[in-house]
Amino acid sequence: MEAKNVQNQPHIEVGTNKPCRTCKWQTPDPTDPHRGQCTANRHAMGGVWKRWLRDVENLTCSKHEEGKLSFRDHV
Amino acid sequence: MNQMVSAKVLEYRGKTLNFTPEDPAEAKIPAEELHEHLQKPSTARTKRLKDRCRWKHASAGEFIEKSVTAGIERMRYLTEAHKASVGQPEPIRRALGLANVLNKSTLVLQQDEFIVGYHAEDPNMFPLYPELSHMAVQDYLMSDYSPQPASEAAEINEYWKPHSLQSKCQPYFDMKDLGRMYQVSSMEAPSFASGYNSIVPPYETVLEDGLLARIKLAEKNIAEAQKVMTTFPWNGTTGLDNIAKIDNWKAMVIACKAVISWARRQARLCKIVAENFETDPKRQAELLEIADICQRIPAEPSKGLKDAMQAKFFTFLICHAIERYASGYAQKEDTLLWPYYKASVIDKTFQPMDHMGAVELVEMERLKISEHGAGKSRAYREIFPGSNDLFILTVGGTKADGSDACNDMTDAILEAAKRIRTAEPSIVFRYSKVNRPQTLRWVFNCVRDGLGYPSIKHDDIGTAQMKEFSKFSLNHNGATDEEAHNWVNVLCMSPGIHGRRKTQKTRSEGGGSIFPAKLLEITLNDGYDWSYADMQLGPKTGELSTLKSFDDVWEAFRKQYQYAINLCISTKDVSRYFEQRFLQMPFVSAIDDGCMELGMDANALSEQPNGWHNPITTIVAANSLVAIKKLVFDEKKYTLEQLNQALMANWEGFEEMRLEFKRAPKWGNDDSYADPIITKFYEDIIGGEMRKITNYSGGPVLPTGQAVGLYMEVGSRTGPTPDGRFGGEAADDGGISPYMGTDKKGPTAVLRSVSKVQKNQKANLLNQRLSVPIMRSQHGFDIWHSYMDTWFDLKIDHVQFNVVSTDELKAAQREPEKHQDLIVRVSGYSARFVDIPTYGQNTIIARQEQDFSASDLEFLNVDI
Ligand code: SF4
Repeated sequence: MEAKNVQNQPHIEVGTNKPCRTCKWQTPDPTDPHRGQCTANRHAMGGVWKRWLRDVENLTCSKHEEGKLSFRDHV
Repeated sequence: MNQMVSAKVLEYRGKTLNFTPEDPAEAKIPAEELHEHLQKPSTARTKRLKDRCRWKHASAGEFIEKSVTAGIERMRYLTEAHKASVGQPEPIRRALGLANVLNKSTLVLQQDEFIVGYHAEDPNMFPLYPELSHMAVQDYLMSDYSPQPASEAAEINEYWKPHSLQSKCQPYFDMKDLGRMYQVSSMEAPSFASGYNSIVPPYETVLEDGLLARIKLAEKNIAEAQKVMTTFPWNGTTGLDNIAKIDNWKAMVIACKAVISWARRQARLCKIVAENFETDPKRQAELLEIADICQRIPAEPSKGLKDAMQAKFFTFLICHAIERYASGYAQKEDTLLWPYYKASVIDKTFQPMDHMGAVELVEMERLKISEHGAGKSRAYREIFPGSNDLFILTVGGTKADGSDACNDMTDAILEAAKRIRTAEPSIVFRYSKVNRPQTLRWVFNCVRDGLGYPSIKHDDIGTAQMKEFSKFSLNHNGATDEEAHNWVNVLCMSPGIHGRRKTQKTRSEGGGSIFPAKLLEITLNDGYDWSYADMQLGPKTGELSTLKSFDDVWEAFRKQYQYAINLCISTKDVSRYFEQRFLQMPFVSAIDDGCMELGMDANALSEQPNGWHNPITTIVAANSLVAIKKLVFDEKKYTLEQLNQALMANWEGFEEMRLEFKRAPKWGNDDSYADPIITKFYEDIIGGEMRKITNYSGGPVLPTGQAVGLYMEVGSRTGPTPDGRFGGEAADDGGISPYMGTDKKGPTAVLRSVSKVQKNQKANLLNQRLSVPIMRSQHGFDIWHSYMDTWFDLKIDHVQFNVVSTDELKAAQREPEKHQDLIVRVSGYSARFVDIPTYGQNTIIARQEQDFSASDLEFLNVDI
């Protein structure tokens, strides 16, 4: 297992220029567009284990990558 | 390259059965591309219409086809009317809103089409509904599909914030509870937050009476009510009721007149195009014919099949997309269209045509539905991956006297579905032992072509259920014993009445989901969700150290479930309270005989209770409970704490332990250890607790176990579970279907397991995947027919089939562009396989492909 390290977990950085909102692993929350879901955690067996993102503008992590995944790579 | 047919033979009752294709030409088709060879549109026109169909499939919240966006006209004209009608009675404001949209919106007329009408200003667009949920519209504004001009759309959404259903309902709940629902991990978000809805429109009144007759009725009722109000001696205890009734009837008149003039605008458009622009004389004549139909229909009663199809489509657009959004395509189509089929095809008294003319008309209808766009919230763009919306119609079954309800229209509907091969609309077939063989053959032909539909429902169970719910009718006018035969699936799975009255009008009656897998996960963590949201997701029901016995775990789960289901149903009823005050449906009310008679809005009137809610992911929870009981409490191989430690590590470092939990007995194998526990789970908790609740209509709420795409979404929001599942893996794909790949004892063991669950259920989805060579062989029909009769005798509510090879599915993953016609059954709906995310595709490949052994055939008593 990856060591618990706050940088590679979603964490608040108010005003970050790498917010979850612009990250390719992020997809919006099903109900409230100001929240989101992180899909970066992908299991070797094909599972996509999501994490809820309370605030997509101010959360970030070291895995941030600009862009958008195709629907085919989401759930 | 594998050929389609394996060399498989089977010894059975002293005979050698060879599973070679019934059609010898098929032997030459490679297994990887079979489905690309099965479409056979009945005319060149329907082939063209399919080739240029503007699909609007969504997956993972995104539209797959480029250039699909939200339109602005509906929200613009609705808002304009809302501002202009301040001070008027609310039902009348709603009718004026509908009228403004219908009077001003741009009409769409497309090449080649015979059934006309659209609900947005461009065939690549769909409307939005800011009066429902401002969050759902906000999501569109922040997406690539925003209506334009975006600033105007944002202003409109801002205007609706205080008036929307969402804003009306939210104050009556704790935001902490709603926040839990909005995540869609243990509960589906309430309809006031998503805007999702479903309905069974009373099409019958439009086709049989026409809207002019409905207007006359409403005007007569207004006159009578006004007379009562001026008659001596005045009685204030009843006389004042007439105020609301008069408002409702007036609103009905406005709505019906608006729909007639909208249809006549379409007539004028067709005439203008025919007379000024169309150069092909054949198409010119056809456009004039369409103009004639739209001039008469739906104002007047339908006289032939073309009339009926057009009247039905206009009614669909108003009820499902313009007056208010509602998913679904619920109707008993063969019964509804039979009189018009008879007039046109058999008696040839109006719009004469032959049977193939009817088939072509149905193919065109299917393509109209296939390009219908739904302005659904993101949640619903995620949870039916590969589809545009849940469009499901019902055929077959029995008439009021118990005789076979199948007719030649049933066959035309099924033949058209087989020929044109579209994922939508899906079809439900009500299976009864009195159904005629020729129609059963068409059902089978669709099934074995891999369409995934008809999905099959047990006719007697549905009818008995309508009778049972009728007993709770608050106005003692539920379905009669005869009317109880008039049922259709409202959406994927739940039966509801169809006809001139007593149909379901709002999803606050039935619909919405609850997710036992997540509830079990948090049960093991004192209600805390460590794996997705990192927050308290349910009540505190005990730390692990306090769960000393299996009963403690069971009862802790029960409390989590009670909390969640109570919230789900109370949010639905609060929605309904406000729907009837601010979201009246004057058009739907006008075409319902009950609303017309009583002067009531369709959201308010409930004659036939039909409460249901969908447990989804039940089997992951149930298999997990079985594994806990066996390995923790019976055999004491592990403690709950050890289990929890392994789960928190996503089984990493605990592989041997995971395999033991994975090998614990699983549902669907007729297992004497697992089945009693799981049966009790369904009957005592899932159904037993739910039915303690009484909803708005006065009846109990019962579980309709199914899956849609939520088995994937919720799977991805659920951590590792004690059934040996990793965090984020998909959950079970049907209400009562075995977990994918774990039903190892053959198709009849699945039937035996499933048949054990009988009490406190409304419906339960059973997915089965059958062998392609067996189904396409000369013995396919006999085996399937015997299977169906056994299924019927075992009193199982539902079954549906995938008949597609793993080779073909994998080939489509490699080269999607070559497999555009490969359709699969996902759960309560079918989809083009290439439109589903890889995650979901893999769940379909992983389903157990059922072969039949000689002992299976013996159990089914197959007579070959
Ligand atoms: S990978 Fe990191 S930055 Fe990207 S969505 Fe997930 S938590 Fe946010």
